[in-house]
Amino acid sequence: MTDTTTTAPAATDPGDVDGPRPRLSRWLTVGAASLVALVLALWLMASTSNETDTVANIPTADSADAGFARDMAVHHQQAVEMAYIVRDRTTDPDIRRLAYDIAQTQANQRGMLLGWLDLWGLPKTSPDGYMTWMQGGHMGHQTEDGSLMPGMATNTELHQLDTLSGNKAEIFYLQLMTTHHMGGIDMARACAQQCAVPQERKLAQGMVDAQQSEMKVMADMLKERGAALR
Amino acid sequence: MSKTSKKTAAADRKARIEEMRRAEKARDRRNRIITITLSTVILAGLVGWGAYAINSANEKKDQKAAAAAKPISGEKTWDAKKLGRTHVETKVDYPMNPPVGGNHAPQWMTCNGNVYTKAIPNENAVHSLEHGAVWVTYNDKATATDIKTLTDKVTKTPYTLMSPDKTQSGTVMLSAWGHQLSVSKASDPRVDQFLTKYVQGAQTPEPGAACTNGLTAS
Repeated sequence: MTDTTTTAPAATDPGDVDGPRPRLSRWLTVGAASLVALVLALWLMASTSNETDTVANIPTADSADAGFARDMAVHHQQAVEMAYIVRDRTTDPDIRRLAYDIAQTQANQRGMLLGWLDLWGLPKTSPDGYMTWMQGGHMGHQTEDGSLMPGMATNTELHQLDTLSGNKAEIFYLQLMTTHHMGGIDMARACAQQCAVPQERKLAQGMVDAQQSEMKVMADMLKERGAALR
Repeated sequence: MSKTSKKTAAADRKARIEEMRRAEKARDRRNRIITITLSTVILAGLVGWGAYAINSANEKKDQKAAAAAKPISGEKTWDAKKLGRTHVETKVDYPMNPPVGGNHAPQWMTCNGNVYTKAIPNENAVHSLEHGAVWVTYNDKATATDIKTLTDKVTKTPYTLMSPDKTQSGTVMLSAWGHQLSVSKASDPRVDQFLTKYVQGAQTPEPGAACTNGLTAS
């Protein structure tokens, strides 16, 4: 039993007392080193993304940003054109004011979209067609007779509008323009969700809001004329 | 128990402790090396990855810029500064056929993806080019397939117009302000390249001008 009594003090030997201490400081060292590495990594990532900002923030030709800018510029152009036609076909101040408002707004917005494409150095047209950037595709729209995207009137309908006058022209315009806004709102909503450039998302959301309220105005104007949507 | 055996036991203990301390030191050193090496590898990896990311992004941008600036193979160009932009009511004698710029009629040809089946006046078409349109023309050598292919493209593309021109040298010719391409058939991939590059392209003297509400009768 003496053996145990002699080995017992060894457990409290000062050489063994500092056993767990270096282990703790070792983990502290590793922890500190990892922390430094993590901070450095975050800093590096932040600084690289800053340096590449000008590169990374330019949308590519197949992005939602570029696609929306290209396609909505075309969609808007027809709204501008229809507004001019109806202003020549009626003297009604309400319709002429509505058409003036739409023409001014959409011509300006179209200029913004085309200007962004210029800044990004991207083409205004794509051989791949329209609305290919939209998640869920172009809703099976057949491009025919100048109706290139959902909501767009055909060339035949535009010519028809140009032959009507007064009340008939007003009603047909309100019908065509309501359909036009419906197609436009779907596309603008897609950009408001998918576009990466915040200014463009904001413009798209603005289109959704404004065109929805214009659709209510047009519904009332149709009712005043004893007509409904086609 | 004898005194010597006690002494031996003490010496043994001392030796064991010595050995434990040595092992402890070796572990410490090994861990230090691992820590330093690991940190260095992580750092080097991050720096390398960052540099690569910046570099590849720049390279991609350079390639895109180079592709956009490159002329389309076989296209002819004219100095835009030497092309007149005055509105005239008279016939204009253009030095190239079809014309790619110069003085022109006050009224532009409607170029909202319009296909004209008869020849149209140069003076009106040139005004459309000033507004950023691409004018597609073909002569008698163009086949029905060529005409169908071009018609499909043009009708889907605002800021283009199309018309026959019996007097031109090429089978199919595409003209933008200061630029022209001649191809032997409509399926040539350069047709799409030309349209993509020049429909409302950087050559446009009057960006934002309309292609609607122009002259439509030929």
